[in-house]
Amino acid sequence: MAVHARCLDSQFPLLEARTTPTLTRTPRVVDSPVAFASGEGAAIRNLRASLEASIAAKLTSGSELIRNLARQRREEILPTTIEPLDALLGGGLARGKMTEIAGRGTRFSIVIATLAASTSIGETAALIDAGDSFDPQLAEAAGVDLQRLLWVRPHTMKETVTAAEMIGATGFQLVIIDIGSRRPPGRRVPDAAWVRLARVAESHGATILVSAPYALTGTTSEAMILAHAPRAHWLGRENAPRVLAGIETHLKLEKHRRLRPGQTATVFFRCEEGIEGGGEWGVGSGRKDVGYLSSSQSSSVGSMSSYSYPPLPTPHTRKAS
Amino acid sequence: MTRLACFYVPMFVLAARLRSEPDLLNEAVGIVEGNGNNAHIVAATRRARKKGICPGLSLTQARSLLPKLIARSRDSECERTAQEALLEVAETFSPRVEDAGEGVVFLDVTGMERHFAGEGDGEWGVGSGSDTDLAGAARDDSNSHPPLTTPHSHNPEFRLARAALRACDAISLPARVGIAASKLAARIAAELPKSPTVVAPGEEATFLAPLPLTRLSPEMEAAAMLHRFGLSSIGDLAKLPESEIASRLGEVGRELHWAARGIDPRPLMPRPLPPEFHEGMELEWPLVALEPFLFIANSALDRLSKRMEIQGFACKRLEMTLTLDPEGYDARGIDLPAPTRDVKTMLTLIRLDLEKTPPGAPVTGFSFVAHPDRPRRAQLSLFGPSAVSPEKLATTIAKLISILGDGRVGMPMTVDGHLPERYAINVFSPPPPPDVRRTPARARGLLAVRTFRPPIPIEVTTRETAGDDVQIATIRSLAEAVSDTRPLTQSSRPRVEAGAKIEIAGTVRICSGPWRVEEGWWIDRPDIREYWDVELERGGVYRVFRGGAAEWFIDARYEM
Repeated sequence: MAVHARCLDSQFPLLEARTTPTLTRTPRVVDSPVAFASGEGAAIRNLRASLEASIAAKLTSGSELIRNLARQRREEILPTTIEPLDALLGGGLARGKMTEIAGRGTRFSIVIATLAASTSIGETAALIDAGDSFDPQLAEAAGVDLQRLLWVRPHTMKETVTAAEMIGATGFQLVIIDIGSRRPPGRRVPDAAWVRLARVAESHGATILVSAPYALTGTTSEAMILAHAPRAHWLGRENAPRVLAGIETHLKLEKHRRLRPGQTATVFFRCEEGIEGGGEWGVGSGRKDVGYLSSSQSSSVGSMSSYSYPPLPTPHTRKAS
Repeated sequence: MTRLACFYVPMFVLAARLRSEPDLLNEAVGIVEGNGNNAHIVAATRRARKKGICPGLSLTQARSLLPKLIARSRDSECERTAQEALLEVAETFSPRVEDAGEGVVFLDVTGMERHFAGEGDGEWGVGSGSDTDLAGAARDDSNSHPPLTTPHSHNPEFRLARAALRACDAISLPARVGIAASKLAARIAAELPKSPTVVAPGEEATFLAPLPLTRLSPEMEAAAMLHRFGLSSIGDLAKLPESEIASRLGEVGRELHWAARGIDPRPLMPRPLPPEFHEGMELEWPLVALEPFLFIANSALDRLSKRMEIQGFACKRLEMTLTLDPEGYDARGIDLPAPTRDVKTMLTLIRLDLEKTPPGAPVTGFSFVAHPDRPRRAQLSLFGPSAVSPEKLATTIAKLISILGDGRVGMPMTVDGHLPERYAINVFSPPPPPDVRRTPARARGLLAVRTFRPPIPIEVTTRETAGDDVQIATIRSLAEAVSDTRPLTQSSRPRVEAGAKIEIAGTVRICSGPWRVEEGWWIDRPDIREYWDVELERGGVYRVFRGGAAEWFIDARYEM
C-alpha cells in the first residue's frame, strides 16, 4: 500500500539544494565530558589491587552482582513457547521492549499462551483486557497460573494505556494489552502515550505485548507481527457430524528493529476437545500436545492434508470449556 | 527501682495548633478561647509575647497591642491528635505508657536505657527541640532554675531522653523530657527549661529542694498559708516535720510534704493500645474547592503516615468524615487493597472519591481514621524472577480500582460449575517467585475464545436433519448486548438493551453440535443449555447456545 507522507514546512529538503541559512553562531569544539566515577568503592579497588590478577578477576561486589543480574535480565527474551512465533521474533518477546500483534488471526490464543509461559516460570503478569473477553477457565486449562495474573478490565482506550503504564512502572515482568475485536469506546489515544509506554517498558525491564485488530503502536514497538488469514478446520465431511478441530493463522513479521522483516509462519491452535479426545488427528508434526501446524519461515501456508481423521467423540461427552 | 519518664509539651494548645499549621511557626499567633467579648488569649508565640501578648488578655486588648496578631481558636481535634501522636512516640520507647492529658505523658523506662547504651553522641537533638519558639517560652520563666543534677552524656538514660526529644521533634511537637523515680519528680524535671533532665535514683529530694514551691502546684489556700510561713522553696517545706504540716494544712499538707520529699505513691496507669489512628482539623473558614482541601489533607495524611510508621503499621482502611457547613457530616470509607503508608496514594484515592461523589456543601472540618494493619513484607529473590514490591503493588491496585471501579481489577478465579461464563475476581496477592529461574512450560496450543459478557441474543433459523438434532441455518443478532460487569449468577439472565446495533448475521456454513450442558438440576429452574459451534459463510466461528426458554444467544467467538 502506498503511503503519501505529509510534507511539512519544517522538513529539510534532501533533493533540492537550497541556500543554507546563515549561521549566526560559529561552531566550536565542545569540551570533553567529565569522567564520572565507575561506582567502584575505594575499599574494593584497594582489595583488587592487593590481590593477584586471576583472583581479582573473580572478585565481585554485591552492587556489581546486582547490576550484572539486572543487565542480564534486560537482555533476556521471554519465549512465548509457540515455536513458529518465537522463530519469527528471534527467540521470543524482547524484555524491556514493546511488541505488537495486529490483525484478525488468533491473537488471543497467542496472548493466552504467552501468559502461560510467563506465569509458569514464576513471573507476575498482567492482562489489560479492553475487550473484556478473558475466560479464566480456558486460561487455566491452557496452563496460566491465575494466582500470578492480574486481570484489568478497562472501559476506554485511555484507561487501557493508563493502566498499562502504571502496571509496567510497578515492576510486572509481562504486561499484555488486548484490545479485543474492535476499538474500545473513547477518544483515540495520542501517539505520545505509546512512546511513554515504551519508555516505561525500557526503564523497568517489562515486556509489553499489544494485541489489537489494527496497528496501534507505530514506530514505538520493537517488532510487529501481522496475524491474518485465519481458517477454521473441521473434522467430518458432508452430512457427517462435524467437530471444530482448530483455527490456522498466518503470521508475518512486518517490522523488527534487529531482524529482517517479511518472514512468515503458520500456527494452528486446536480446540480443547481435539486434545482430549483427539487420537492421531492433531498435528502434522506428530506432536499431540502442541497445535502448531508448521514453523516454516519461508512458506506462508502449511498443509493440512496430512490429517488422518479419528473416530469422532460423541457430542454429549464434550466438556464445557 | 522503677524509673519513669515524663514527656511534657509546654503551651500544648499552641503547639498542637502549630503542628497542624507549621507555616505559622514564625508568625505572631495567639490561641483564643471563647467567643465574642469572652474571647481571650490562652497561648501565644514568642513573637507575639515580645509585643506584650500574654495569656489572659482579651482578644480586643491583644489586637490593640498588636493589630497584625493572627488569632486562632482552640482546636480540640488538633489537640487530640497531637496528644495521640505524643503517646505513640512514647510507645516506641516503652510498652507501658500513661496518658496524663494536655501534652503530658508518663512512661515506664525501667531497663529501657540498655537499648541506648552504645548510641553515639553526635546528634544533639535537644538543641533543635529546645530552641524552638515554644521551648524558648519557658526559658523566660523567672521561676525556672537550672537542674541540680548535671546530666552526663555517657549516661544511658540521658541518651534515651535525647532520643525521645528527637522523636518528638520528628512529629513537630517541641517536647521536654524528664526522668526520675516518681511521676512527680519526672514531671517537674520535664518542666525545667533545659531539657532533658535526668534525676539520679534516690536523689529526688535533693533535686527538688532548691526549686520554688510553685513547682508543686499547691492549692491556692495552702499556697497562701505556706507563703505566710515564710517558705519559698520545696526544700524548706521538706525540712519541716510532717505531723506539724499535716496538723495545719490537713491531708493536702501531708501530700505536699511527701511530694517535697520526693515521695509520690501514685502508680503508672498504662493505657491500652489504640485500635485506630485519628487525624483531623477544624477549618477557620468553609472550603468549597477540592484543591485547598487536598492541600490541608496532605499534611494530615502525612502526620498519620508518620504515626503509623512509628508503630510499624500501615493503613488498611481509611475513613474520612467531613464536617459540612452549616450542619451535617459526610462520612465515607476507602478500602485499600493492601496495607500502605504512601501518602500520595491515599491522597489520590481521596481525590478520586471526592471527584466521583462531591460532598455537596462547603467543608468546615475533617477527620481521618486509619485502621492499621501489618504491612506486607516480601523477601526479593536475587536469582529468580524479580518480585513486585508489595507496597508498590498495593498502591497501583488501589489507584486502578479508583479509576476503573470495583470488580474491574484483581486475580481471575474459576468458579465451580458447568456454565462457561462463570468467573470470579479476587484480591490480587501473588505468591512469592521461585528462588531459581525455571524453564517455561511448553504451550498446549489451545484455541482461545473471546467471551461475550453478557451473551448476545440472536434470532436463529434451523433446518431438520436425519436424526433428532437441530442444525442452524442462519443467525442474526437481535441487539448488541449491554456491557455488564456482574458475573452471572445461578438465576440471572442476560440483560438486553433494545435498539442497539446489530452486528452478527449470516448464513451458517458449518454447524457442529449440539453439546448439552446442565447445571442446577436440584433446583426448580435448572440451567439446561445446548451448544453449537457455527461458522458463517462470511467468516467467523461462534459458540451459540439455546437456553431453557428457547432463547438463543451467542456467548463466545472463536477468534478469526
